[in-house]
Amino acid sequence: MNKTRSAALAALAVAAPLGLAACGGDEDGAVTLRYAFWDDNQRPALEAMIEEFNSEHPDIAIELEQNPWDDYWTALDTQFAAEDAPDVFWNHVSRFPTFADNGVLLPIGDRIEEDGVDPSIYPENLYDSWRFEDEQYGLPKDWDSIALVYRIDALEAAGIDPATVSDLEWNPVDGGTYVEFLRKLTIDEDGDNALSPDFDPENVVQYGTAMASATGQTDWWNFAAQNGCSLQTEPWGEYAIDAPECVEAIQFTADLYNRWGVAVPAEVTNQPNGALGAEHVVAGQAATTMDGSWMLGTYRDGLEPGTWAVADNPSGPVGSGSVINGLSNAIYAGTEHPDEAWEFVKFLGSEEAQAIATGMGSVWPGVSSLNQGFADYWAGEGIDVTGFQAAAEGTTIGYPLSMNDAAFGTAALDEFNQVWLGQKDAQEAAEAVVEIANAE
Amino acid sequence: MQIVHDIDRPPRQSAASRSRPARRWDPKTAVEAYGMLAPSIIGFAVFLVVPILVVVALSFFDWNFLSDPEFTGLENYRELAGDERALQSIGNTFYYVLLNIPAQTVLALLLALALNAKIKARGAFRVIYVLPWMAMPVALGVIWRWLFDPMNGGLNRFLELFGIDGAAWLTDTNWAMPVIASVNIWQYTGYTMLFFLAGLQAIPGQLYEAANVDGASKAHQFFRITLPLLRPAMLFVLITSVIGSFQVFDTIHVMTAGGPDGATATLNYQIYLESFTQRNAGYASMLAVLLFAIIAAITLAQVLFFRKRTVYDFS
Repeated sequence: MNKTRSAALAALAVAAPLGLAACGGDEDGAVTLRYAFWDDNQRPALEAMIEEFNSEHPDIAIELEQNPWDDYWTALDTQFAAEDAPDVFWNHVSRFPTFADNGVLLPIGDRIEEDGVDPSIYPENLYDSWRFEDEQYGLPKDWDSIALVYRIDALEAAGIDPATVSDLEWNPVDGGTYVEFLRKLTIDEDGDNALSPDFDPENVVQYGTAMASATGQTDWWNFAAQNGCSLQTEPWGEYAIDAPECVEAIQFTADLYNRWGVAVPAEVTNQPNGALGAEHVVAGQAATTMDGSWMLGTYRDGLEPGTWAVADNPSGPVGSGSVINGLSNAIYAGTEHPDEAWEFVKFLGSEEAQAIATGMGSVWPGVSSLNQGFADYWAGEGIDVTGFQAAAEGTTIGYPLSMNDAAFGTAALDEFNQVWLGQKDAQEAAEAVVEIANAE
Repeated sequence: MQIVHDIDRPPRQSAASRSRPARRWDPKTAVEAYGMLAPSIIGFAVFLVVPILVVVALSFFDWNFLSDPEFTGLENYRELAGDERALQSIGNTFYYVLLNIPAQTVLALLLALALNAKIKARGAFRVIYVLPWMAMPVALGVIWRWLFDPMNGGLNRFLELFGIDGAAWLTDTNWAMPVIASVNIWQYTGYTMLFFLAGLQAIPGQLYEAANVDGASKAHQFFRITLPLLRPAMLFVLITSVIGSFQVFDTIHVMTAGGPDGATATLNYQIYLESFTQRNAGYASMLAVLLFAIIAAITLAQVLFFRKRTVYDFS
């Protein structure tokens, strides 16, 4: 039926000492660098940047290696084990601590200084998030935040003025104007909304929202930020999601499913195999969703211009807010071409390169001065994306920084999926996750 | 006529094999023979023997893929006792095997009997039942996941026609495993049927003729002739399908990823989760050794069980 994975595991263990490392061909001094990434939406921008890079460095060829998010990290881990990892690769804050701690990343602090790269072109916290034990391991590639994406046509049909979306507020007691807004947008097959006495919750054709997040980044972490919960005691500290302000945010998320019935049921959206929020919005099964700025292309490609828009997240008891995050380009410590890899990473971190990506509407740039260019691209498409910026100016939290990210992630997915299904208590689940995640 | 003897005793030797001259060691032939065998022996050693030994060795280490393995002796084995998820996965594995094997074997046997009879378009039916086995399990898993989707899936829409409220098949801790098992039964029954079909066709027709003359009923014929004579096919089918179901991975990965709440994480899936999401390669190796021991023990039991029985030789 199936081969056991242990065979693969063992095979790579054998391959490691044999040194099966393949490296770029060095005839006529040319070098080939392998560059790994995961997001298909960003491929065109990467290709455009590489083309520009090659006009200055024709002797450094770049080979793109793409794996989808889930496979990307297993592939990287096995490549590290086999000492055959890509020379340059996208790095994520959730994986960064373990990578840095285990020495698979090339420190670039000295090179930054020697080449006079100016770190002040990046937001300070974005640049510093790639720092580990006083050494720098990457240059910011981009930043992202979470904002409210909504269907204008659905709002108009429900008689809601889109201008009021940025003023929505929620609270854990009665849900606030945000829940009222979502109930107006939850419609059954007779056209009655969830506020109507005739509403039939068994036959809903459009839900107010869809939430689907394997981590919490695009669902409850945002409510957590808006409720004063920061997931950890401090960066690098213990997980603290069993604190009352965190449990309230988890409970509020569960309420959207089970108490208010305004979210696409968790039976359909639970990760990792459920459909994403964007898919439900594009299909018209949900009127809104909280989503990441990296997903804009999906809405652009799936919906007619002028039928959707972006707004700041609703405000919670502590204020508006969002999870902000960013990626960096990192260099593999075992690369055979550290100088060329640094040239490439330096270029990818430059204003010149990132202007290419923002000009294509790919991602919010790591270089602060280019934010306007990104907003301009989307304004040209008829979409006001400044909601992501507004969200990023609120009470933000970053991705938790921890060596135990894997244990936390798995436990959180297991436990909270059951909470969203209404089968587990929020407090109990939070305590179970904390116990597992802080154990190691 | 039929000759009955025990499998433990050597079978009756034919005249041809008795008169064959004794083999002599011939260096030239030996070099040639080993030369021809080399590709398969080397492949077997590099891709099977060495990895197995490495996994056994790794089970005594801590290894996160990124830095050097660290020797921890029996620590991984000791940790197992307190690991609820791993213990749950062992229970899940047996549950899956019990759901899968009896149903699949009985269905395959019934199908083989039906398609061994002289019916119209027999060949076409045989192909149709084997088709699921020929398709890619991952692609099938994705399609089945869509069909089982509680909101948009075909199954619940179909049930709705009869006024039945379908369950949330893949996110319900009670339903998820039976659903996974049923998909795999659907997929592998046709394949299993092939072996029974081959076994049925090897049974000489005169046995049934004689039984008919003696006035034996159809049921009697099935239990006294067909089933005993299918024993070799049964042994093969049970051993391979039991091993296969202990190793189920792709359907689970695609349909539930071990969820909800670990309800479909079999031991084999737990090995994957421990190594590739938790980076506990040493601990996962320990689980792999454990899985190997379980499968080896069960296979041995099956062989011993079947060896005690009589076989029939019609040559």
